[in-house]
Amino acid sequence: MKTQSKTSRIIIEVVMVILSLLFLYPLFLTIINSFKSFGEVMTDVIALPKQLVFSNYSYVWQFINYPKLFMNNMVITTVGLLGIVFVSSIAAYKLARTKSKLSGILYFLCIMPMLIPFQSIMLTVLQIAKSLGLSESTWGLGILYWGFGAPLAVFIYHGFVKGIPLEIDESATIDGASGFRLFFSVIFPLLKSVTTTIVIIDVMWIWNDFLLPLLMVNGSPDTKTLTLAAYTFVGQYTSDWQYAMTAMVMAVLPSIVVFIFLQKYIVKGVVAGAVKG
Amino acid sequence: MLKTLGRKWREKMEFGIFTLPVLICIAVAFYIPFAMTIQYSMTKWNGIAKNPVFVGLDNFKQIFMSDTNFADSAWFTIKYAVLYIILVNVLAILLAVVLDMKLRTTSWLRAAFFVPYILSLVIVGFIWKFIFMQGFSSLSASTGWAIFDLSWLGTPELAFISILAVSIWQSIGFYLVIYIAGLQSVPEDLKEAATVDGAGPFRKFFSITLPLLAPSITISVFMALTNSIKVFDVILSLTGGGPGGTTYSVAYDIYRDTFQNNLYGYGTAKALILFLAVLVVTIIQLSIFKRREVEA
Repeated sequence: MKTQSKTSRIIIEVVMVILSLLFLYPLFLTIINSFKSFGEVMTDVIALPKQLVFSNYSYVWQFINYPKLFMNNMVITTVGLLGIVFVSSIAAYKLARTKSKLSGILYFLCIMPMLIPFQSIMLTVLQIAKSLGLSESTWGLGILYWGFGAPLAVFIYHGFVKGIPLEIDESATIDGASGFRLFFSVIFPLLKSVTTTIVIIDVMWIWNDFLLPLLMVNGSPDTKTLTLAAYTFVGQYTSDWQYAMTAMVMAVLPSIVVFIFLQKYIVKGVVAGAVKG
Repeated sequence: MLKTLGRKWREKMEFGIFTLPVLICIAVAFYIPFAMTIQYSMTKWNGIAKNPVFVGLDNFKQIFMSDTNFADSAWFTIKYAVLYIILVNVLAILLAVVLDMKLRTTSWLRAAFFVPYILSLVIVGFIWKFIFMQGFSSLSASTGWAIFDLSWLGTPELAFISILAVSIWQSIGFYLVIYIAGLQSVPEDLKEAATVDGAGPFRKFFSITLPLLAPSITISVFMALTNSIKVFDVILSLTGGGPGGTTYSVAYDIYRDTFQNNLYGYGTAKALILFLAVLVVTIIQLSIFKRREVEA
């Protein structure tokens, strides 16, 4: 009986491993074809490259100005993240700690936008961003994400703060701390795990976002992002699939590297964010 | 007396300082644009003319009475959303049940299924376009299977299936993680008790695991619902709406009207309809699923 369940478990395991390899096969094909010459991509996609062609990479690197775009992505994501975490954590904390009608209404107003599809407001967002001067720079684009990221972040922080005992606030107040001091030296460190969750969810979202950068950038290379560059690049070179695949790999590589290092936290973060969210 | 008054004042000040930044950000990102959207939806405007012309509810009348693009894209979106929600959740639950067993490669497998989720949907669309267009002919040559010879992006029905399959491929890891978390909170002793009572694996799954998984199902269906109604990126890069305009979603249709056809007022009216649809459907979904959760 025991041995039977052991063999069935091994069979399940083998089936699952094969299934997962099939699942990842498209990514494998993408990578190997980014190392092929044009002719090889056209004649046989599934064969391994006869020799590794690195010139695809140097070509795309220069053509889309990779270092510049990478920096753009970094600036947009960092500015966006810092703002989201800052404005959402202080607000969620105060809203969760204040028991009043106003506080309840404001909390509802903060999380309600989660139901508004971006397509419903994209045109007017673009107009407002233009009139505020936010559409021309990476900083401005990052700042725009504050409002878009805030509803989910407030929601997750709010749920978490409710679980922190009020006595902690009180004893800190008695010790003479007040306002920001209390929040930043006592409460914020306690929110570390939930901040990690928000950072992970928002990094994946802002780094890969497409529509907002597409609308804001309007062809300017100064504010282009990696995903956007890959999109326009493929649009121009639809038949040069070897370059297209290279651009894909290069756009995606940073997130894969981050994923490999933070895998444990990412999976935990998604669970915390989703289950609480 | 004066002191308490001072403290109250200070508390109010602090409340304002802490909450105002987020309220301003959200107002700029959502509420002001939303108010403007309502205003624009009742105008005719090409985005170039100085002032939009007020037309009342004409845009809405036109959308519902005579816009076949909108009807087609709405039908596409409904079909897509229903199938996506069902398939991605059923598949994710099945995978999660297997990956909840104590296998040696569990953590590797979970990571593997999650990887596509960290890629941007636009890029996922392009990768699959390449595979459907170039990769499948190579696969057909080496395997001889007829399935690889079909025109997966060239015929309307197959293009629909392709979009559905690619979106599921990209996002299933996310739902998988939610369900694994849910399964881990199902108490072991309940399952053991059922085994002692003579329940087989299927009985155990349907009578114990599934009801206790209800909170995870509520969240996953909610996520799948809101995401599938807004489907856009993957279609843009995979089919571009083709063949013959059969794969336009509502979100894509709005994008096309607003930014490609310069029908600003008209596109905005459609956007408002999309918002109302999302609102109504999610409220219905959440209330139905929450009620079932309590019963379970």
